[in-house]
Amino acid sequence: MSKNDNILEFKNISKYFPGVQALENISFVVKKGEVHCLVGENGAGKSTLIKILAGAIERNEGNIIFDGEKVEIRSVHEALELGIAIIFQESNVVDQLSVYENIFLGKEKTRLGFINKRKEIKVAEEHLKQLGLDFSTQITTGGLSSAEKQMIEISRALIYKSKLIVMDEPSAILAERDVQKLFNIIKELRNQGISVIYISHRLEEIFEIGDTVTVLRNGKMIGTSRIKSVTKDELIKMIVGRTLLNKYPIEKREVGSIRLEMKGLSVGSVLKDINFVAKKGEITGIFGLVGSGRTELARAIFGADPIDSGEIFIDGEKVSILKPSDSIKVGIGLIPEERREQGLVTKLNIRENITLASLRKITSFGFVSRESDISVAKKYVKELNIKTPSLEQIIANLSGGNQQKVVISKWLSTNSKILIMDEPTKGIDVGTKSEIYKIISDLAGRGTTIIVFSSEIEEVIGISDRIFVMCDGCLKEYLDKYKKPEKILSYAMGVIN
Amino acid sequence: MNTKISKIGFQRFVIAGIFVFLFILMSILSPVFLTATNIINLLRQVSMVVIVACGMTLLLTSGGIDLSVGSVLALSGIICAKLAVSGVPLFISILGGVSAGLFIGFLNGVLVVYFKVMFLIATLGTMFIARGLAYVISGGKAVVAGLPESYKIPGRGYFGFIPIPVLIMIVICVVFYIIQSRTIIGRYAYAIGGRIETAILSGVNVDNIQLLLYSTCGMLAGISGVILSSRLASGQPNSGIGFEFSVIVAVVLGGTSLSGGEGTILGTIIGALIVGVLNNGLNLLGVHTFYQYILSGGALILAVILDMSLKGRGIKLRRRHY
Repeated sequence: MSKNDNILEFKNISKYFPGVQALENISFVVKKGEVHCLVGENGAGKSTLIKILAGAIERNEGNIIFDGEKVEIRSVHEALELGIAIIFQESNVVDQLSVYENIFLGKEKTRLGFINKRKEIKVAEEHLKQLGLDFSTQITTGGLSSAEKQMIEISRALIYKSKLIVMDEPSAILAERDVQKLFNIIKELRNQGISVIYISHRLEEIFEIGDTVTVLRNGKMIGTSRIKSVTKDELIKMIVGRTLLNKYPIEKREVGSIRLEMKGLSVGSVLKDINFVAKKGEITGIFGLVGSGRTELARAIFGADPIDSGEIFIDGEKVSILKPSDSIKVGIGLIPEERREQGLVTKLNIRENITLASLRKITSFGFVSRESDISVAKKYVKELNIKTPSLEQIIANLSGGNQQKVVISKWLSTNSKILIMDEPTKGIDVGTKSEIYKIISDLAGRGTTIIVFSSEIEEVIGISDRIFVMCDGCLKEYLDKYKKPEKILSYAMGVIN
Repeated sequence: MNTKISKIGFQRFVIAGIFVFLFILMSILSPVFLTATNIINLLRQVSMVVIVACGMTLLLTSGGIDLSVGSVLALSGIICAKLAVSGVPLFISILGGVSAGLFIGFLNGVLVVYFKVMFLIATLGTMFIARGLAYVISGGKAVVAGLPESYKIPGRGYFGFIPIPVLIMIVICVVFYIIQSRTIIGRYAYAIGGRIETAILSGVNVDNIQLLLYSTCGMLAGISGVILSSRLASGQPNSGIGFEFSVIVAVVLGGTSLSGGEGTILGTIIGALIVGVLNNGLNLLGVHTFYQYILSGGALILAVILDMSLKGRGIKLRRRHY
């Protein structure tokens, strides 16, 4: 194999943070025109490696060789100029600008200092068409979906004639049908000889789109392999370092009397006449794509957004929920989809986050009881196996899975009878995922009513006692005995009624 | 992975180091700096800033700010002096002055919480309103004639050998240290400033806490206003111009984040002392006030740059290495 086949080479990259070795001698090669998947649990070092490539953090040792030359990259923009486009999860478009302005941002077509708007629009349209997209280039970007914003970033990469596009968990924010669209585009990029580094937690995707896979674990290089020559189980073993016995460790339990009942819940045109019953110890899965009203329903039950009409009953009694503190009082807890923005205060430590919702219970005359504060936090850190050196650890330093366990602890400490979980395993690695499912199962076993909102079909099928599908603001129970993913998806897409 | 904790610890260490350095520097440069009289004088000078900075620290921690404290200082002083002149007992005059501050603070809270006015605009507005009221009530002139002799007690009196303003400062520091580190209000302030959405979804009554913090800040400005007016033995409608600046410099120097979620009373006290030592020392050295303005402005900007660098968010102080 000649050396010119390689577009990017990492050579012995190491990175130390105070007290931790984040990366240790990472070396691998990305070939021209291949889709190279980068996988590993949270904290494995994927993000660190990409941030080094983007110049956002400095490496301590090693070299990066791009297109045959040793490179020193200091910013995302420098990378882009070199031909490496890095697309992070948080979209990097200016909402106030139009689509074409975003595509040409930093590389405007100018004549004598004036922007050649007509030409930009024309070229932008060509690119969007090439990617199989059909929206106007002149609308403002703010109103577009995350999926469409991603496409704009990919178009921008093409304008910069990028030879390598890095996508950091692009599918995490996409609904399944948008993922398919993204895959078609990635295939198109590959046909054009552009290499893609694809980071994802979802193994199914890796097998569908990848040519090669590199696995990192605890900052160490585990191996690189052709996708065709590994099985799913082998890959999981490489990622977690052990064989995963049961992906959905949900135990059989007794389901009790009716705990939560909703009658005719409506919010504008977003939620239409929702009727729903959930019992003690029952796990209900609600499947819905982005925009189906899934998050809106979760927030409406919790009182985070006002409802227009409808009644909510808990244990047979009608309750009035106008704000989150009302729902907390009647025993509801919400684990929101946006963990870092809505579930946690990342500047505070584990202890302060765990007791945030139950603080009043351990406060007398305004003073927070130190002992209770610590003992409550300690209890849940132990019970949910939160991996941390101390209770005083700042949340920002924890991995996604451990962060989610802190959010769950917060609601356990309020003694929630009903737990609403919106995408509880979003951005969480395979190993920790099954730990979260185990926690869900244990809670249900103790009589907690669990309602899981999810856009992962497999997850909904794997953990739920009953399945509901949301589509266009309506909620329907999926009663089919055979839980076929394709069928659930077609309900959610409104293909079958 | 304790990097963040140690970075903030390091930041405090550096700020304390700056204070010690300035203190020693001034002691060397000026023969009168390190005398009991001057130190007590220095503490008396910083007392008003520290008192308000305690409330401002909590407010900034919760993600807010109050620009009106300087004007409130003047308004409270005027009201206190006017009441004293009209012959009401001293205690009632003081209460009147402090209540005026509390009222403006409450007004700030109402504007921010219920009318959703952005806090910079709300408190900028009340900054002018309070200043205007101070001029209107006083007729634009200092309120001096007819003040009883006892009027000077809060500002110039002593309790044992400790000046009363310093004593009030110490009590308020202790109270706010406890509020911030031990009470539910302190914890909620951090949570609101750190991530207001999470706080709301965790059942925190964000509105009430914000209202309380703005009111407190106004009340403390009222207390400082009374002390100042008593020290000057007059109500001065143009006093406290630029006072909000000194308070914010002290708080920011002390490591409180302008974006909320971080900050300590202890840091603020050190921050205020740095400002105090700098002003006092420069006065002793005969540096003109004009230059002190330039130095103070520079200090604020430097403080922010330093703070961000030490917490690892700004320019890098260390060299890159490959």
